[in-house]
Amino acid sequence: MQKSIIQSFNAGLVKMTRLLVGLAFGVLIVSVTIQVLGRSGIFDSPVWTEELTRFALLYLTAFGVGLSLLSGDLVNVDIVCVTLPPRVQWFLQIVCAIIMALLCIFLLEPAWRFTEIGAYQTSPALGWRMTYIHASVLCLMISLGIFALARVASLLLEFRKVWEKNQ
Amino acid sequence: MNLAILIGVFVGGLVIGLPVAVTLGVSSFCYLLAAGIPLVVMPQKMYAGIDVFVLLCIPGFILAGNLMNNGGITERIIRFANGLVGWVRGGLGLTNVAASMLFGGISGTAVADAASIGGVMIPGMKKAGYPADFSAAVTAASSTVGPIIPPSVPMIIVGALSGISVGQMFIAGAVPGILLGVAMLITTYLIASKKKFPRQKWEGFREVGRSFLGAFWALAMSALIIVGMISGLMTPTETAVIACIYAVIVGAAFYRELPLKLVPKILIDSAVSSAAILVLVGFANVFGWILVSEQIPQTIAKAVLAITDNKYMVILLINLLLLFVGMFMETIAALIILFVPLLTLAQGVGIDPLHFATFAVLNLMIGLTTPPVGVCLFVCANIAEIPLSAVIKAILPFLITNIIVLLLVSYIPALATWLPGVLFG
Repeated sequence: MQKSIIQSFNAGLVKMTRLLVGLAFGVLIVSVTIQVLGRSGIFDSPVWTEELTRFALLYLTAFGVGLSLLSGDLVNVDIVCVTLPPRVQWFLQIVCAIIMALLCIFLLEPAWRFTEIGAYQTSPALGWRMTYIHASVLCLMISLGIFALARVASLLLEFRKVWEKNQ
Repeated sequence: MNLAILIGVFVGGLVIGLPVAVTLGVSSFCYLLAAGIPLVVMPQKMYAGIDVFVLLCIPGFILAGNLMNNGGITERIIRFANGLVGWVRGGLGLTNVAASMLFGGISGTAVADAASIGGVMIPGMKKAGYPADFSAAVTAASSTVGPIIPPSVPMIIVGALSGISVGQMFIAGAVPGILLGVAMLITTYLIASKKKFPRQKWEGFREVGRSFLGAFWALAMSALIIVGMISGLMTPTETAVIACIYAVIVGAAFYRELPLKLVPKILIDSAVSSAAILVLVGFANVFGWILVSEQIPQTIAKAVLAITDNKYMVILLINLLLLFVGMFMETIAALIILFVPLLTLAQGVGIDPLHFATFAVLNLMIGLTTPPVGVCLFVCANIAEIPLSAVIKAILPFLITNIIVLLLVSYIPALATWLPGVLFG
């Protein structure tokens, strides 16, 4: 029961995050394409494309970071870990996931303060309040933190398997 | 004391297996706490690190490479390379190197190169009678050519760090990349001759022509990227997006091997790979800021200049340091942390920044094939289904070749600066 709840939560989380990452990348591609078409003389090149592209990149990073933890793109140096017994490896993996989650939790408040600082600025071309753009760092911390916690849950589910393997 | 905390937590994090990006974040966090600096600096510096115009092209180039890779180019490039050099002794080994050089003009990352070329070539070479360790070693060694020949993700990062134009960085890598490839072709031939490896049958110029036509659209992408960059008509980001559109058209319409329903998955996977690089850039920016505020670049420069102010000795010391660091640390993290401090030192003895950037990237690429943390070694050992130790032994001649090329590029600046000088003035 517990296992299926965690698994369906993880699956839903991955699905939603992939959608958000795809959306951010889509905005980036469309924005650059408009920029290129504007340059080629089909229509006047709008001034906001470069700014929108940068914002899309920030959100692409924010949403994608959690998934990169899951896919293994967030590389680590596992040369020491692979030489250890499975139980110790499992323990180190869970310690790493907890450290990651704690870092994100501790950085939530500073990221929130940074988001609030954005209220005093607007982006030059789009005229957007920078609160919404600075919030990308907050999203990054939330995304990485949730995926780190999901990893802790998945590792705890594996506990019995690892224990039996070690026996 | 605070600096000791920074370094101690960083090393500890790496040892227990924390992702490199997170290790940079945790160590910076601990430093800021110990130094009593407001933690809001951290999101601020992360934001500033990622919000850099030059970095916008990274997802585009990664996506273009992945689209081409899924669109059936690997086999076509290998067939063309085989037509060119397969008939020489050790032909499949030479094909492997030549394919990496051609593929390098499309992918921009060594791991993608090792996985794509290795996935086809290693089983093929084993079947043809080549030893598995040699097959894996030649694939891993030649994959380092990819990030030197444009486009190149590490070169983009260096552009962002140093302010050198990405176009100039790309072009600066062209001659060293070709030199590295040729040196590896020679090494492969010498090993093949000594060990009497087999050769393929010469299929004639008709096969060369036919395979060239097959690979033409894939190879033309490299030309598109280079022309886009050096003509000044497009920014690196625009070039990358045009390359993506081109890759979809070639893969779906010309080669008919890229199912359009697969494109969203490739797009998201590429975005996730890019996010991993960018978050590393973000955390490393905080770490780098701490190093600068602790005046580490000046301290390193002073310490080295106290030993010697001889330009050639300084180049040697920089290379030794980068080779050592590259053995243990992820390439992009090493670049972000060390590039600025070492650039200060290099400029102090009159080394051209473009020249320094080129040999620094080349040096750190070698780290991808050196134990204990050579990612390409792991990838190729896995594909060849042999222990890592066998690949490490077999790659030694190639490592020596790589280091000779590194020394040539380090001590003959024209190899890096001549072509950008001609094209950009």
